[in-house]
Amino acid sequence: MAESVIIKNVTKTYRMYKTKGEQLKDLVLPGKSGSDFNAIEDISFAVEKGDVVGLVGINGSGKSTLSNIIGGIVPPTSGEVIVDGEVNVIAINAGLNSQLTGIENIEFKCLLMGYSKERIAKVMPEIIEFSELGDFIYQPVKKYSSGMKSKLGFAISVTADPDILIIDEALSVGDQTFADKSLAKMNEYKKRGKTIFFVSHNLSQVRSFCTKIAWIEGGHLREFGPTNIVMKNYSEFIKKYHKLSPEDQKAFRDKLANRRKQNNK
Amino acid sequence: MRALIKIIKEQYHSFYLIMRLAKFQLRIDNQNNYLGFAWEILNPAIQMAMYWFVFGFGVRGKENITNGHSEIPYIYWMLAGISMWFFINKAILNGSKAIYQKYTMVAKMNFPLSVLPSYIIMGKYYGHLALVGLIMVVFWIKGYYPSIYYIQLIYFLLMSYILAFAITLVTSTLTVVVRDIQMLIQSLLQAMFFLSPILWDRSTSMPHWIQSILQLNPFYYLANGYRASLLYNDWYIVEHWQLTLYNWGLILFLLLIGSTAHFKFRNRFSDFI
Repeated sequence: MAESVIIKNVTKTYRMYKTKGEQLKDLVLPGKSGSDFNAIEDISFAVEKGDVVGLVGINGSGKSTLSNIIGGIVPPTSGEVIVDGEVNVIAINAGLNSQLTGIENIEFKCLLMGYSKERIAKVMPEIIEFSELGDFIYQPVKKYSSGMKSKLGFAISVTADPDILIIDEALSVGDQTFADKSLAKMNEYKKRGKTIFFVSHNLSQVRSFCTKIAWIEGGHLREFGPTNIVMKNYSEFIKKYHKLSPEDQKAFRDKLANRRKQNNK
Repeated sequence: MRALIKIIKEQYHSFYLIMRLAKFQLRIDNQNNYLGFAWEILNPAIQMAMYWFVFGFGVRGKENITNGHSEIPYIYWMLAGISMWFFINKAILNGSKAIYQKYTMVAKMNFPLSVLPSYIIMGKYYGHLALVGLIMVVFWIKGYYPSIYYIQLIYFLLMSYILAFAITLVTSTLTVVVRDIQMLIQSLLQAMFFLSPILWDRSTSMPHWIQSILQLNPFYYLANGYRASLLYNDWYIVEHWQLTLYNWGLILFLLLIGSTAHFKFRNRFSDFI
């Protein structure tokens, strides 16, 4: 099958400063102060059309950075990402305004996603239907419960219908019925041969939903392969990690963090 | 130059987007008030009344202001100029913040980022047009009737928008990189308010070289342009053609710097925010 996303030696480095002064110095004389932190380091893998790739790893391992780079939101420091098709990142809260009503928010967010006037008119009823909000759609979002907000956000995002979809922790909200409905929608995408990246800490969701898994640890790609193999290793790792005392867990994280730091001096 | 063409194309193709987002911005700003949009006009109107009381009654008395040919009572002279200022001031202040405030809202989408400052400006522009309309009515009642010179007003209204956009294109990018710029802009705008002939114009009694320097201020041209079109009835664009050329040159220069800086930093905005 054809490859839809190729990630080649991608590294993302952030400059870290201890004080505002250091930041200012670095702006005037680049490279003299502050230190580098590699959020992700030299990651390469290729994904085919129809793959559902789970990105797993403990907090701070660089999953979100990687998904943002694939989504084109953050440029990589070095390396490149070759993407075949339109990418959309599903993020629940981006673009919802609490002062506007549900309807207004739908139009607002569709405008931000670059929809034409005609396309907005076409998708509006679909979104309202999917969101299950009923008459609340005419109320300002500030009156919504957090579950209602995420329903609206998700409903808007799934109608975008891109070729490559990145779902960053988006299915961990809402009640069970809505989560099931959302998963069904995702499965429909999967069947239609779309590439999906799925970032989640919910291992049972990842297991049932993904065909491949990329395990990120401390900014490096530790393992990439079919779900059953990588998932087995990852669950074992998580079990072992949970058994460690808090001090040992911290020591483990510090070791990883130190590897990612590069002091200039 | 290529960056400039790209910006202009982006603005042109996003025209509908800018209009709609501006409308939403107005609604967001005024949602909690019962009077809603009316505050966009009431607010400056109250300030105008204050300036008129302090400077019109207190300081200037009942003096008239002349442009060389005809005389206009201070209050009308002030109203015409200050309407421009309320727009420019708000547009530049809020427009400069546009990218760093709104970036996260559009970060996960393929959004033409130069639209961020322009839709904020457009939101203020609606209020400006309404305010100018209101002032016109006041002038008609007082006997300053519509004339052929209103054509010139359209030119100056458009120019205010373009100038505000040119300035914020530069400042909105700079503010993302160095947040302190916002504070600097605030202070500079306050200084410009008093250096422009908005509340007073004593420039004719100043040495010639100071007069020339004061005219380099683009708000000088705009304020007097509004007055020429609404009150004095003369062709300011032609009579002061050197200033016309200079101001368009300045706008072009700002647009060039602004668009180059915007595209140079566009991919790195997320690193700064």
